[in-house]
Amino acid sequence: MAIGNDKEFKSALAGLPVAKQRQVAARFVQRVFDLSNDVRVRAALEVAGRPEISDAELTVVSAAANTARVESFTQCGKETDWGAQAGLFVAKAAVACVGAPAPGSNLAWDAAMQSRMARTCQTVATGEGTENREAEEQYRILDAFLNQ
Amino acid sequence: MSATMEKGVRVLKEVMDAPIASYLNSCVHCGLCAEACLFYTETGDPKYTPIHKIEPLRRLYSQEYTLLGRLMKMVGLSKPLTDAELAEWQELVYNSCTLCGRCSVVCPVGNDIVYMVRKLREGMSASGNAPDGIKGAANRTVTIGSPMGVKLPAVKAQMKHVEDDYGIPIPMDQEGAEYMVMLSSMEIINFPEYLGAIAKIMQQAGKTWTLCSTAFEATNAGMQIGNSDLARLIVSRIVDGAERLKVKTVISPECGHAYTALRWEGANLIGRPFTFQVKHIIEVLGEFQKAGLLKTEGFETDRLTFHDPCQLARRGGVIQQQRDLMNQVAKNFVEMPDAGFINWCCGGGGGASAIEEGEELRIEAFKKKKSQLDAVKPDRLVTACANCRIVLEEGLEHYQMDIPVVGLTEMIAEHIPEKGA
Repeated sequence: MAIGNDKEFKSALAGLPVAKQRQVAARFVQRVFDLSNDVRVRAALEVAGRPEISDAELTVVSAAANTARVESFTQCGKETDWGAQAGLFVAKAAVACVGAPAPGSNLAWDAAMQSRMARTCQTVATGEGTENREAEEQYRILDAFLNQ
Repeated sequence: MSATMEKGVRVLKEVMDAPIASYLNSCVHCGLCAEACLFYTETGDPKYTPIHKIEPLRRLYSQEYTLLGRLMKMVGLSKPLTDAELAEWQELVYNSCTLCGRCSVVCPVGNDIVYMVRKLREGMSASGNAPDGIKGAANRTVTIGSPMGVKLPAVKAQMKHVEDDYGIPIPMDQEGAEYMVMLSSMEIINFPEYLGAIAKIMQQAGKTWTLCSTAFEATNAGMQIGNSDLARLIVSRIVDGAERLKVKTVISPECGHAYTALRWEGANLIGRPFTFQVKHIIEVLGEFQKAGLLKTEGFETDRLTFHDPCQLARRGGVIQQQRDLMNQVAKNFVEMPDAGFINWCCGGGGGASAIEEGEELRIEAFKKKKSQLDAVKPDRLVTACANCRIVLEEGLEHYQMDIPVVGLTEMIAEHIPEKGA
């Protein structure tokens, strides 16, 4: 049965083991990666997307992605560039993909939400309103992932 | 003397009041304020001594309002302030002062040095000597209504995102709600999860709340640049919104200067009492906790410490609530040395983080925070100010300290059970 809402989406993601969550999370973030194009984010997504990852690899790419995240914050008082701000949320999503999972956390859901936020920033930047189809695309990606 | 300089001097004369006269005559030149300022302690440069930062104000006071000063000026022994001097002082009055108030509380004769720095900023701003970064923020506040240029459609976009993420509706312009929640630009832009946390907490507490379409922005750039008229305008927008919606309480967000401007100075700025109360979100959470409205489950088990935002703890006196909240959800909460009332600033308050040319100095001053953290070696750092949060993250990143920073409101919300769970 195809996933059609966030409740089913979140529940399906929570049911996946961490390694699978990383893989599907990386696919969500790939969809918005062009809003960042940061090489550290790309490296994190490449690692997260692989079935076998060592802890050492995760540590390295996680630290680099986190640096990209910190560098992307808009500081207090600076004029907001929503296009650039999308990059922050792409970096946050990438950090979620490769971060250490806290007990009870749903890292794939976190990555999905940050990816949607990145897309929202893009729509704010372009003045296209707030509607976008990122959620539906994520449902489709998860469906395909579960059925592969 | 240029026209802007004349204006600056005129403003400085206008802001010279009885407390300033008293403070300037009371200073015993002990130097204790130097040891209280992280820009001095971490650089060792005496120019960062807080009382020295107000030297143009002191000189003008002496020349205009003391007999000896007037005589010295008359015979040329005391020179008038110049454009170049005020330009030189920009670094001392803005880049290296976060208005944290630590110097004021250690002064043995009770001089409120921050009060004087803020008065000096009025003259600096009027004379065109405020840093470009803060000027830009002030201009955007006038023209757009937000120092970071956040407009209502962007807020609505964040609202929609948060509604989807948390599954809780975000009310806007709901007349008669008990609470009107303010946001800082920083939260709208960088930390939309703060809004989700508020929604979750309010839902559990059973409280009515709303955002206000004409007053969602709490940040007060007028206070930061030193422009009372602008500070008044920003407060007036909030007052108009709160009175239009007939709310009982306005909640200041996790933003230090927004809280000070609205809670402690707002009524004086607009010249009349508010018809509503103003509370910081941490005060509101503290009240919910005491009333049994904050039901959480589970505990953080890693080692946590708390960074007290200066405007909340030192200037606002909110100290115990955050500790009670931490202890509700954390098993291993440790205090940094000098925590609470006398905590050291993150280094980026008072508009300092908006000043690009001050970045190197901020990073240098961050060594003080580093030493506090090194003393307790926490796994994570919790705070309650969006600006502190980013300044802390940048400092930690620079010194390669792997300590994630989290917001207290969000951490509390994470421990609230999902509705229906």
